[in-house]
Amino acid sequence: MNDGPLIVQSDKTLLLEVEHERAGACRKAIAPFAELERAPEHVHTYRVTPLALWNARAAGHDAEQVIDALISFSRYPVPHALLVDVAETMARYGRLRLEKHPMHGLVLTSTDRAVLEEVLRAKKIQPLLGERFDPDSVAVHPSERGNVKQQLLKLGWPAEDLAGYVDGEAHPIALAEHDWTLRPYQKDAADSFWHGGSGVVVLPCGAGKTIVGAAAMAHAQATTLILVTNTVSAHQWKQELLKRTTLTEAEIGEYTGSKKEIRPVTIATYQVMTTRRQGVYRHLELFDARDWGLVVYDEVHLLPAPIFRMTADLQARRRLGLTATLVREDGREGDVFSLIGPKRYDAPWKEMETQGWIAPADCVEVRVTLTDEERLAYAMSDSEERYRFCSTTPSKTRVTEALVRRHLGEQVLVIGQYIDQLDELADHLNAPVIKGETRIKERERLFQAFRDKEIQVLVVSKVANFSIDLPEAAVAIQVSGTFGSRQEEAQRLGRILRPKADGGGARFYSVVSRDTVDQEFAAHRQRFLAEQGYAYNIVDADDVMRGA
Amino acid sequence: MSPEVRWGTLDAEFTAWLRERSDEQLKALVTARPELVTPVPAHVDGLAARMSTPSAVGRALDRLDRFALAVAETLSVQAEPVPCDALRALLLPALPRPATAPAAAAGTGAETPDELVETAQGLDPALGAALERLRMLGLIYGPDRALTPAPGVTEALDPPAGLGPPAAEVFRHHPTEALEALAADIATETTPSEAVEPADPAEARSPRARVAGLLGDPVVVERLLDHVSAQARAALDELAWGPPSGRLPNARREVSIAAAQSPIEQLLARGLLGATGEESVVLPREVAMVLRGGRLHRDLSPTPPPLDGIQRDRSLVDRTAAGQAFTFVRTVEELCERWSVDPPGVLRAGGLAVRDLKRAAQLLDLPDWEAALVIEVAHAAGLIASSGSVDGEWLPTAAYDAWRVKSTEDRWAVLTSTWLTMDRAPGLVGERDDRDRLLNALHPDLRRSAAHEVRGRTLAVLAAADPGVAPAVESVLARLAWDQPRRRGPFRDRLAELTLREAEHVGVTGLGALSVHGRALLRATGPAEALRPLLPKPVDHVLLQADLTAVAPGPLTSELGRWLALAADVESKGGATVYRFGDASIRRALDAGQAADELIAMLERHSATPVPQPLRYLVSDVARRHGRIRVGTASAYIRCDDPAVLDELTADRRAVALRLRRLAPTVLASKTSRATLVDSLRAMGYAPVAESLDGDVLVTRADARRTEGPALARVQGGGGPEPEVAAAAVRAIRAGDDAHRAVRGPAETPAGQIPRSPATATILALQEAIRQGARVWIGYLDSQGHATSRILEPARMEGGYLTAYDETRAAIHRFALHRITGVADVN
Repeated sequence: MNDGPLIVQSDKTLLLEVEHERAGACRKAIAPFAELERAPEHVHTYRVTPLALWNARAAGHDAEQVIDALISFSRYPVPHALLVDVAETMARYGRLRLEKHPMHGLVLTSTDRAVLEEVLRAKKIQPLLGERFDPDSVAVHPSERGNVKQQLLKLGWPAEDLAGYVDGEAHPIALAEHDWTLRPYQKDAADSFWHGGSGVVVLPCGAGKTIVGAAAMAHAQATTLILVTNTVSAHQWKQELLKRTTLTEAEIGEYTGSKKEIRPVTIATYQVMTTRRQGVYRHLELFDARDWGLVVYDEVHLLPAPIFRMTADLQARRRLGLTATLVREDGREGDVFSLIGPKRYDAPWKEMETQGWIAPADCVEVRVTLTDEERLAYAMSDSEERYRFCSTTPSKTRVTEALVRRHLGEQVLVIGQYIDQLDELADHLNAPVIKGETRIKERERLFQAFRDKEIQVLVVSKVANFSIDLPEAAVAIQVSGTFGSRQEEAQRLGRILRPKADGGGARFYSVVSRDTVDQEFAAHRQRFLAEQGYAYNIVDADDVMRGA
Repeated sequence: MSPEVRWGTLDAEFTAWLRERSDEQLKALVTARPELVTPVPAHVDGLAARMSTPSAVGRALDRLDRFALAVAETLSVQAEPVPCDALRALLLPALPRPATAPAAAAGTGAETPDELVETAQGLDPALGAALERLRMLGLIYGPDRALTPAPGVTEALDPPAGLGPPAAEVFRHHPTEALEALAADIATETTPSEAVEPADPAEARSPRARVAGLLGDPVVVERLLDHVSAQARAALDELAWGPPSGRLPNARREVSIAAAQSPIEQLLARGLLGATGEESVVLPREVAMVLRGGRLHRDLSPTPPPLDGIQRDRSLVDRTAAGQAFTFVRTVEELCERWSVDPPGVLRAGGLAVRDLKRAAQLLDLPDWEAALVIEVAHAAGLIASSGSVDGEWLPTAAYDAWRVKSTEDRWAVLTSTWLTMDRAPGLVGERDDRDRLLNALHPDLRRSAAHEVRGRTLAVLAAADPGVAPAVESVLARLAWDQPRRRGPFRDRLAELTLREAEHVGVTGLGALSVHGRALLRATGPAEALRPLLPKPVDHVLLQADLTAVAPGPLTSELGRWLALAADVESKGGATVYRFGDASIRRALDAGQAADELIAMLERHSATPVPQPLRYLVSDVARRHGRIRVGTASAYIRCDDPAVLDELTADRRAVALRLRRLAPTVLASKTSRATLVDSLRAMGYAPVAESLDGDVLVTRADARRTEGPALARVQGGGGPEPEVAAAAVRAIRAGDDAHRAVRGPAETPAGQIPRSPATATILALQEAIRQGARVWIGYLDSQGHATSRILEPARMEGGYLTAYDETRAAIHRFALHRITGVADVN
């Protein structure tokens, strides 16, 4: 019997025993064609998906290599059906190709006429294609490049895109590594993005995705459009680019609610891009305002639907997606891959933690037992109001106070969903609160004060879920959230994962009402992190109160 | 001589030859042709007659490989017995030329001696073996200097090797005048260079015989061929290697060489083609032989075609097959488990609905055809059966419960030996039959008589390949075609391909090559033992993780497996199993009577790693809430505001039958009905008032159900009769023959006390007699109940009957074992 670290399951999942001595080599071998699905402490789960297999083909791996990797690392015989399936799936890639034709422009050609016939008969593809000028080729309108690719992928005949990218307007950009250096994984991520042409880089919060973006820009040496989630984040990007690259203030434009600058490097918010006036997206022309050589999508998991549609038209430009949590509750991960590009780099959170790039974190779920009156009120509340009720109970406020007291002297973030709850907490804790109505200036002032340790406790709403860089925050207390959102939980943990100056760890508390829907949602929220290997310890609120 | 006379003589010669064969040779004969002894013929004359029947000859010929068949065909086209050397010379031109020989030589039939030597290599041993086999099968007879086809063989082989009928036959019904003209035309065209045909008896012969005589001379045919156009020659070449007949309009037209226009007319005018009907023509045998360059076959290979394929790593083959074997067994179990609680219905016409097959396929995560295979094998192995003909359901049988507790390797052996011998073709499920009806799984119409034979043959071909070689499908089919050329056809090829596909799925082959346990299965030498070391060892631990999953890194020991299946939900299956713990699964375990600390203890005992805190918390949290609310069943209740009354009631001895239970100080529950309760209380002197009730809750549990459906009878493997039976049959024939020839009457009934012995001793003694071929003396109660005394040569014992040659009656009889009163030695 072979003593490999890998067990290949018949449902196409791969189980990798991480303590095994050959686990590292095995991970390297299977990473190109299998998605890491779960990474808890002992056994990691990968899944072999058609998309992953096609990405592997695109990256130059063939079926023989995939099968060899499976067989040589597998502890048990690999199911025959799976091997056949791998070979068949990979053989589907590249039967169709998108190419540049000197006469007809962008064309779809095929080495297998039967496949082309099948594709041409598909209802969703027909309207996207032009004239069939020879038996094996059909013209494609350049603006439909993304849609065609997306539809072909859905049909199971992914097209190999050989039409290349436009270079865009050249603009010199270099990294200014005088007092810092690019970390190895950041370099790998930027490089593998550049070799792939377009795609998504997945790195944990706090691992420096902005720098990966900057490195990609240095590769592109061209004008760049950066799309970010909000204005504060836009400012942070600007600061970071000024600090890390040779770019100057004059070269970086801001395209937000207040400013509309278009410069060689322009940072725009999703919000502005999707603002409609009289049913028209007024700021769409930004995409055509310059001959962009690179488009960067920050927090790509949040990409709103209109941007998806616009992105379909941008297939000739290089696109970089950045995210920590490529899970979407709407299940549109596949669209991200087909429109932005395949996943080019992925690092498990725990691995980054071991290497010291992000702070080690302790996750604790604090279970609050409702008082009898609260339970009665909960049982009687409307089903729409139930979650709000149980996640904002006064009992939670008391526990939160106790937790803040316990971490006196540390930088503490209190994060919640409901404004009245946050206001009440701020009142009790005597701390400032940042919420949707807080002005940008005020927000930035408070964040800066928190960074400078002038303020020790900050209460924030979901406006601080993403992209807010708070290096010294060591403790986060989550009192309520957006129902069962997995990525929100991960992003909130991400706020405290920047490595600390003192090398200490971070602590994440999730305060949950016992035996209510809050508890059910919490379990769902924690799944992403649990699958990344973050084990939640569960403690009773009473113990916290006693300990405090 | 007329054929009838010849037939009679041959028959006698053949019978004499057969009688001269040794017992060993006859035993080999009946072993290879078991149909000859069912029932056992009375004597050698009977045996010979049976061997000559068209069906028996046909079945024997079916068993020949291509070379032996070619030898038989070559003999059958000769008019006289052929010496071995002549036979060899006849076969030699048919062998493929060595690659170096120029292609042109093929047309002339002339080779240099060197080439002949090279070609002949491999011929002699193959020819010797083929003759030996043909003789053994009784298809040819006679000494080496005069080999003769056995009676019936020539007829069964007609037309041999794709040849048309002889000219005499072709022109039998042509008008005499036309034949006169034809003979004259042929003679004119072929004589100029030759001396004028002597006016000998030929003139006196009929025109038909003259035409036949002319065409019988290869020189004449060659000359005729020289005179036809290239197109005409091409048309002949088309027919040369068969099929020898063609269709054309107005075949019976009258043409002379002078008047011939089209290529076809040129041929008809020269007798190179003969009309056999208004629209059909045939190539006379003599002409074909000339076109074939004097050989009967082309590219005849004395050795079977090689089995080409990819060479696989043998241990990888075995491991892959073992993995698949494990999966197959588990799949069958999973199917039966599901059907235990959720059985699909039996269609009115029998079989399983397409929808149910699809559901099963979905459950098992397999394509439809694999699911059909799983279902069919489980059924053939008697693990599932129909619960009845009306509104029946497909349910696991009691045999399933016995099978389930066996080890994986034993279970696999049961399934695959069933698969090997079952006469059904699961691969056809989902297709339509000749009458365009859909073939459903488990339907009676799925039986195919050829299925098990083709399966066995195909696997035998795989076994013939070098170990680790995965022969290509074409190569396997080519080998099958060589092995049994008379038993080929698209359907058999299809079955062979299905066999290869199924063999992979059941784990007999791995990566297309026969595995070590597959080989053991074919040889019936302990397949389970061969498989055991290849199967993953059961593990007794799991890896518990903080995301509330448990990974079992291999097949679990059965106790742990059952426990985990209770306390957690299966998320992923394969070499390992991934379980997930959740509220519902923990509650299920608690419901089944496990306590929280038992659960934790079990986890601690079987976890290779510390039990994660969230899992501990989950168990205790679910346990905390478990059972807080209690639900029970009561048919009626008693309510009373005064607890003292209820105290009194429960203490009353007359209330015992009411089975009262105190739920609360003021409430009693009873298991009797409300009416009974009211009546009883009244009888005891109380004055109860009945309260209306909204109804009570019944807890039902879907129970695993079983059926006692009959397991299907197995088809006997194609190996022929066991040695003892063959030997006994030969003895019986010999004895019968002696009796027949000596016109010997029945033997004397032995005098003395009719033997008596205990039943077990009787059976043992008979078995021993069968083994040794000894005669025994038995006492037997005949159908009228009279005690008789017989001398027997026992042949076979099965199903409560003894088949034996009864010397006292000079016939083969079947004796009911329970009527045999005893056994004694004859002497």
